[in-house]
Amino acid sequence: MSTRKIGEVILKVDNISLRFGGVKALTNISFDVREHEIRAIIGPNGAGKSSMLNVINGVYHPQEGTITFRGETRRDMDTHQAAEQGIARTFQNIALFSGMTVLDNIMTGRNLKIRSSFLEQALWIGRARREEVENRRVVEEIIDFLQLQHVRKTPVARLPYGIKKRVELARALAAEPSMLLLDEPMAGMNVEEKQDMCRFVLDTNEQFGTTIVLIEHDMGVVMDISDRVVVLDYGRKIGDGPPDVVRNDPEVIKAYLGAH
Amino acid sequence: MQFFFEVLIAGLLSGVMYALVALGFVLIFKASGVFNFAQGAMVFLAALTVAGLKDEFGLSLWAAIPVAMVVMIALGFLTERVVLRPLVNQHDITLFMATIGLTFFLEGLAQLVWGSNVRKLELGIEDVPFEAIMESTGMLVSQFDVVAALICGALVAVLALIFNKTKIGRALRAVADDHQAALSVGIPLQHVWGVVWAVAGIVALVAGLLWGARNGVQFALTFVALKALPVLILGGFTSVPGAIVGGLIIGASEKLAEVFIGPYVGGGIEGWFPYVLALVFLLVRPEGLFGEKIIRRI
Repeated sequence: MSTRKIGEVILKVDNISLRFGGVKALTNISFDVREHEIRAIIGPNGAGKSSMLNVINGVYHPQEGTITFRGETRRDMDTHQAAEQGIARTFQNIALFSGMTVLDNIMTGRNLKIRSSFLEQALWIGRARREEVENRRVVEEIIDFLQLQHVRKTPVARLPYGIKKRVELARALAAEPSMLLLDEPMAGMNVEEKQDMCRFVLDTNEQFGTTIVLIEHDMGVVMDISDRVVVLDYGRKIGDGPPDVVRNDPEVIKAYLGAH
Repeated sequence: MQFFFEVLIAGLLSGVMYALVALGFVLIFKASGVFNFAQGAMVFLAALTVAGLKDEFGLSLWAAIPVAMVVMIALGFLTERVVLRPLVNQHDITLFMATIGLTFFLEGLAQLVWGSNVRKLELGIEDVPFEAIMESTGMLVSQFDVVAALICGALVAVLALIFNKTKIGRALRAVADDHQAALSVGIPLQHVWGVVWAVAGIVALVAGLLWGARNGVQFALTFVALKALPVLILGGFTSVPGAIVGGLIIGASEKLAEVFIGPYVGGGIEGWFPYVLALVFLLVRPEGLFGEKIIRRI
């Protein structure tokens, strides 16, 4: 982790509140994410972690507060805009195109990079051909990087859970995102798969300099790989700081142990 | 034996026309999970628009078709914007009800604009037997049916090209597979749904032209959609090849049943035989020949 340098604030979340009818999912949440950083969001079940990610990439629209991403401040946007601005994500329960092969799935990640026109693509001429070659090259690099060569042509539905998670990461990386949101990338994995995934997350961060925001339940993992941690409980922020500080925060301990 | 093949070929060729209507259903169902009850009304509207433009405005066929195409594309995008977008995330049955409403609206609109008279639609293809085939094999094969089958084949080929090679086609397949994943790679769902409805509109136009030329452009065209139901049950609601194969099976079996079983029960079984076939099929393979297997945790 010595090669990368943590830079300026790239994402700033200010006083975000999100309600679903009478249910307050998030209340006055503020935190920031610096460039090249690995930022974890933790908290007990129902704390609002996934909601927070959904606000960042435009699935949910908060009632209050603003988000500043690379100098641009806004209340909400749609997922298409988020993807165009370089935010990619993976999901808690895998969202892959199960009918397509691994290769095709990762190729969909290049969707927004395609500039050639409809006719050029249908007739396979001009820019369309060049783009396809270029996109394929990038995808093959990612396949090598995440060691998915052996399943390149396998339909995703046939793969084991751990590999599916990796394919999802690959698809997110194919968009060459500046920020990557990972929703429980290690949930449901065995120890070996977790180790692999940890390594891939760290390598991604190091080699591509991708800023990573991740939600994770495995405290060992979180404390090992993240630079700073936000702790949520019942939609409120109860802790924020480097792993060592958060770990010893009485508020956080109380939330996790459920002591009153 | 020769007669058997004659019936079989006639059946397969009419099956192509069923497949065409079923295709419109499959496109929309696959991409958005909406069972579009209005597909028949779209066929009717498209055919009536072409016939109306020809009769009332004196447009030639080749001028009327592009105009109708623009109408169907606009209708597709408008449907997504006005009918479906406000209902996003509602129950399937709500969306289904909305398309029933759309059916009445389109049927009314078509007749309001063009009147309710039966119109003739000439495509310039005559419904007479192919002479070459008649001379060489002695079989009667309708020229119209063969041309219709070729047009359908060309349409499917173009659709396949678009789905597999273009960005919007890939986006379409992605949306059909998983909405959430499609959103996360930056595919605008609503735009894709608009495109799907527009494509279904164009398919409806082709179906309307062929069915309209064959049976006359009249209100009964809307019932063509009902013929697509057994095709869908047989082929699966989510499979384009299924729609084609299902159409062929339904077309062939209903004609064969009519000719060879019909006489024993007094005839007229062509109308209901496909539904019985579909019913039997439901018992054995509820997801259809090519549909996605439904796996449920209990």
